[in-house]
Amino acid sequence: MAAILEISDLVVDIRSGRSTVRAVDGISLTIEPGRTLGLVGESGCGKSTTGLAVLGLLPAGGKVTSGSIRIDGQDIVGLREAEARAIRGRTVGVVFQDPMTALNPTQRIGAQVAEPLLIHGMANRSSAMKQAVDLLGEVGLSRPAAQAQRFPHELSGGMRQRVMIALALICGPKLLVADEPTTALDVTTQDQILQLFDSLQQSRDMSILLITHDMGVVAGHTDEVAVMYAGRLAEHAATPRLFGGYRHRYTEALLESIPTLDTPRGQRLATIAGLPPNLGGQLAPCRFAPRCAHAAKVCFDAEPSWSEQHSHGYACHLPRRIDTDPITEIAGAPS
Amino acid sequence: MIGFLVRRLLQAVAVLFIVTIMVFILIHRLPGGPARAELGVQATPTAIASFNQQHGFDKGLWTQYWTWLAELVRGDLGYSFKENSTVSALLVDRLPKTALLAGVSVLVAVLFAIPLGVVQALRRNTIVDYMFTAVTFVLYSTPSFWLSLILVLVFSVNLGLLPAQAPQGSIGAVLSQPSGLVLPVATIALISVALYSRYMRSSTIDNLTQDYVRTARAKGAATSRILFGHVLRNAVSPVLTLLGLSLPFILSGTLITERVFNYPGMGLLFYNAAVTQDYPVLLAVTLIVAVATVVGSVFADICYALLDPRVRYAHA
Repeated sequence: MAAILEISDLVVDIRSGRSTVRAVDGISLTIEPGRTLGLVGESGCGKSTTGLAVLGLLPAGGKVTSGSIRIDGQDIVGLREAEARAIRGRTVGVVFQDPMTALNPTQRIGAQVAEPLLIHGMANRSSAMKQAVDLLGEVGLSRPAAQAQRFPHELSGGMRQRVMIALALICGPKLLVADEPTTALDVTTQDQILQLFDSLQQSRDMSILLITHDMGVVAGHTDEVAVMYAGRLAEHAATPRLFGGYRHRYTEALLESIPTLDTPRGQRLATIAGLPPNLGGQLAPCRFAPRCAHAAKVCFDAEPSWSEQHSHGYACHLPRRIDTDPITEIAGAPS
Repeated sequence: MIGFLVRRLLQAVAVLFIVTIMVFILIHRLPGGPARAELGVQATPTAIASFNQQHGFDKGLWTQYWTWLAELVRGDLGYSFKENSTVSALLVDRLPKTALLAGVSVLVAVLFAIPLGVVQALRRNTIVDYMFTAVTFVLYSTPSFWLSLILVLVFSVNLGLLPAQAPQGSIGAVLSQPSGLVLPVATIALISVALYSRYMRSSTIDNLTQDYVRTARAKGAATSRILFGHVLRNAVSPVLTLLGLSLPFILSGTLITERVFNYPGMGLLFYNAAVTQDYPVLLAVTLIVAVATVVGSVFADICYALLDPRVRYAHA
């Protein structure tokens, strides 16, 4: 089956003033129909920029310098604005991080959810409103017809995020980009929203690009994980395989900084020292080397190459050793 | 909403009290006085004393204020010996004409300012933006009497296109000669455009960077749809608030403009009353302006509430 999203060698430059920052530097990713890819990394590693590039919504000064982004077979890089608009909201839906500000404060939510249908000429006004109400019910709003008449400020954060999801899905997109969709929500609501994603994905057979900094979110709700660091891919594998046999030292550091229930009382939580590098400045050949506990001379001398086995790729000179490879059989990594 | 309006109304009454007391004191402290203005510089002290006694001006200031207030409550604004008419009759004749001039001027100003502000916001920090900013600011800083004289010079004297004097007579007469209104309206509108267009510009820029605009883009909406469907309604509310609050500014603008064009409105009435120290008229017009100011700010709040549902519920 043809991939829904196929990103090849994507390079995104963001210019501000006189300086240019290469926010995304040669990323390749593929999402098959009906699958979820988790894109993980710290703030400022280029994961949101990748998501915005997929939507054709890069901020002012941002530009895809090279590479291609194919959505359902069509390369969207270099499309004219009108052509890009025809894809946005229809083939690709998006859920942003902050549901408090992502909705228009002066418009009733029913109208906001129905709007994409009108923009893409997929329904008349009354039919669009009816579909919006139905979908609001499907994403878990009780009494959707009454809720559709309310304004965003009358709803809780979790409810607003459900509205955002309905808004993203109303045209039946093949790909949903979810950029930190649960970060602004409290933990119980987070879980409800993630479960909603799972069930909607099954009923609608769409692909999801789930952008998050939260390894916990990725673990339970994705088929594959791509770890990004400083604009590049660090590691990429099927989710069970990655969690069972991660190789990259950055992935290791990320996973070690998650607190677990069996962490002894009083033990300090592991953190990654320092901050991700400023992408406008000088970068070490291995971009993670300056913060890596395992870094050796080679990491500062040469760029690590991408090695890949069983659809598990990583770029690290001194990868974490794994004695056996128990995950290969159950991984079922898509090829 | 009701409680909110009642509170605003009580505040308004307090404000009006203070304003009238201050005006009362100020105009009675002016040298000369109504007797001198009415009877002329040649008047004898006896004549002045008898005039003052006849009209109650010999009484204490508070007594006079109290009398005025008591009559006001009965709906009697006093009698203008200068105009030889009751003040109420004068206002009934003049107020609609000033309301017409101010209303049309503000309408014209806002109709220009809103699209102008939006265009400037969309082209912000480009030559277009800077140019409009420069032009509107120069106009904003121009004294209205000077601008009106220049307009008269160009359009009436040199080009002969428009009359230099406003139509006289009742409001019907004024309305039947709309060409006479063009220059007074242009004067006030040109000066106040910057007031609104600056607000519209910054409010639009502010809204364009909001997340909900990004959501609209993500829906596939074109710029025009984002502008008219989403941004405009959010961006226009501060301008409407300003509209209510700028009412006194507009009324003072009409005062000068009415004088230059000899437009028979409240501004001209006030001007003449100030020159002749016609107390009842001065007080009545001041009161009207104070009322207009208070009404303007209440109007602003109501507009805001209508446009922004968040405000509506906060006051409920």
